Amino acid sequence: MNFVLLFLITIFSLSLFFYGRSKTKTISIKENIKLNALPKFYGYYLVLWCSIPALVFLLVWSLFEPVIIKSIIIETAANQGAIFSDKNEANLIYEKIKAIHLGTYFGDIDSILKESALAYAKFINLFTNSKVVLIFGIIIASVIYSLKKIKNNNKARDDVEAILKGLLFVSSLIAILTTLGIIFSLLFESIKFFSVINVFDYLFGTNWSPQRAFVRDASSITAAEFEELKDAFGFIPLIAGTSFIAFIAMLVAVPIGLFSGIYMAEYASIKVRRISKPIIEILAGIPTVVYGFFAALTVGPFFRQVGENLGLTVSSESALAAGLIMGIMIIPYVSSLSDDVINSVPQSLRDGSYAVGATKSETIKQVVIPAALPGIIGSVLLAVSRAIGETMIVVMAAGLAANLTINPLESTTTITTQIVMILVGDQEFDSPKTQSAFALGLTLFIATLILNYIAQRAVKKYREKYD
Amino acid sequence: MSNIKIKSKNLDVFYGDKQALFDVNLDLNEKEVTALIGPSGCGKSTFIRCINRMNDVIDICKVTGNIEMDGMDINDKNLDVVALREKVGMVFQKPNPFPKSIYDNISYGPKIHGKGETKSELDQIVENSLKKSALWEEVKDRLDEPGTSLSGGQQQRLCIARAISVNPEVILMDEPCSALDPIATAKIEELIDELKKTYTIVIVTHSMAQAVRVSQKTGFFHLGKLIEVGKTEKIFKNPDNKMTQDYITGRFG
Repeated sequence: MNFVLLFLITIFSLSLFFYGRSKTKTISIKENIKLNALPKFYGYYLVLWCSIPALVFLLVWSLFEPVIIKSIIIETAANQGAIFSDKNEANLIYEKIKAIHLGTYFGDIDSILKESALAYAKFINLFTNSKVVLIFGIIIASVIYSLKKIKNNNKARDDVEAILKGLLFVSSLIAILTTLGIIFSLLFESIKFFSVINVFDYLFGTNWSPQRAFVRDASSITAAEFEELKDAFGFIPLIAGTSFIAFIAMLVAVPIGLFSGIYMAEYASIKVRRISKPIIEILAGIPTVVYGFFAALTVGPFFRQVGENLGLTVSSESALAAGLIMGIMIIPYVSSLSDDVINSVPQSLRDGSYAVGATKSETIKQVVIPAALPGIIGSVLLAVSRAIGETMIVVMAAGLAANLTINPLESTTTITTQIVMILVGDQEFDSPKTQSAFALGLTLFIATLILNYIAQRAVKKYREKYD
Repeated sequence: MSNIKIKSKNLDVFYGDKQALFDVNLDLNEKEVTALIGPSGCGKSTFIRCINRMNDVIDICKVTGNIEMDGMDINDKNLDVVALREKVGMVFQKPNPFPKSIYDNISYGPKIHGKGETKSELDQIVENSLKKSALWEEVKDRLDEPGTSLSGGQQQRLCIARAISVNPEVILMDEPCSALDPIATAKIEELIDELKKTYTIVIVTHSMAQAVRVSQKTGFFHLGKLIEVGKTEKIFKNPDNKMTQDYITGRFG
């Protein structure tokens, strides 16, 4: 039905475009007046007025229709004697009714369900009919309004501008609101978590074993159980593991990325640049899961083998393997960004340095790099936040046990890995175990936020104006 | 008559397939200011960039012919370019101080060449260079401020000080005043007058008046060829060549 409506709205709008265009043309010729806008703007004006109100109405209606029908049906079912004790059972009955209506229900059908299904069919019908009627009503009303405006030779060009501006504004509003929505959903779930687990126990605890709280309703935790859970959600091992792996990754990515960026910008001939730059950027396009199994299946076992030969115990899932591969993943970001900032350092600075007799490497070290430093810091911090947020590689290659260790050969875990582990599989959404994922998400979000803030401050402070 | 410091003979320069200089024969006298004039794109800048081998920076640039400084072949493939540029300083069209402090801008060159090993020696070099470029009085209390915080004219004098700091023999100036206002220009010109006692100076300029004011010798370039060269007075009062005459009287260019 909705597709038919969309189709009709499109057809109407298009025909109105041509109508509006020719209509204003004839008016201007017949009455010999100067139009306030080009004829096509009157066409656009009609199109926008015909389509936007109807589309908005359709969208809102489609959002609320199921909710309203559901509450009505559940109520009628209850009136007919259906028994349900809580929301979940009510939902179940509603789904059954819907399935009967669609003919996909194969269980026993009692009289209550049958009656309700009939009622459901009735309501669906009613709602669809009223939707169609209302939409046509809206279209007719808005078209009449806009036609009247056009007859008065309105400033259609300005009006179209205003409507478009409104559309753009709504788009950015949606972007901002969804972000806010994500933050608030994180925040509320985290608050639930922190009502059970003390914030300080979480922030400074050194033991992370959330499975102890598995399938335990947060509201029914006894004092004894609480004591037991108190030290199950220690954040320290996770942030330590995260920073450690990110550190190893940066150890790989920053020097290699920066040096390759310098080579690309300063030394490589145009020919080399044209071939090698895309190749490096291909690295950035490889899905992280591919890096992940490369790390888990190739690099990890290789390190263990080497370790065995050297007489070291190396876990086959190690921070070293994960960090190394993550570093390789990040190289193109550092390389390509620093290449860009180095390229944007004006040639006149290099000339000035050469002119006092500096060599190329002296010029790069003492003039070009300092001038490009803010951009380089920015690219490095961007790489750090990618390293911290990266999930797939660590899930596959770093292990799951929350070890508090600084031995790169042992397995360790990160915040993102734990979020994945907690939310994979069947969940009890009241359990502190599940809610801890949101707390972790929130902490990660705040950490990256702080990092970005520091990055911006650093960039501002060290920005050397070279113009 | 003063000694010839730099001598070019049959100098040709190519940018890729395009020839930028044709058979230039030009002698520059020691401790004298030589002005190079001519319309844009005539090869003046290309010529002075041959003297300190700045054209090396441009990949597609090829220099043939002969150019000598004190009998030393500048175009020699085995020449130490760093040592050459230590002797031949350069000031650019647009002031290009490094994004460093005023002090570091000046001490950069000496440090690279290992001059001024102690802090006090370096301080001395910085002070002398700034004094020679007539900037000392204006900046002596704020040497640690960034060079880019100075005004345009001050920045250009800072760049001159930077060129002087490594104690060169020749200073090349590529339209040093084109980005400056008349007052700053006057200061730079005064400075050039002072500097010529110590250094051999080559200045590229678009201002005929400036050439007359600062130089003793003038060369006129057109389309990559050196059309006429001679004493500044003669070039501007009584040039031999019709084209020079037309150019200095403003008939073209």
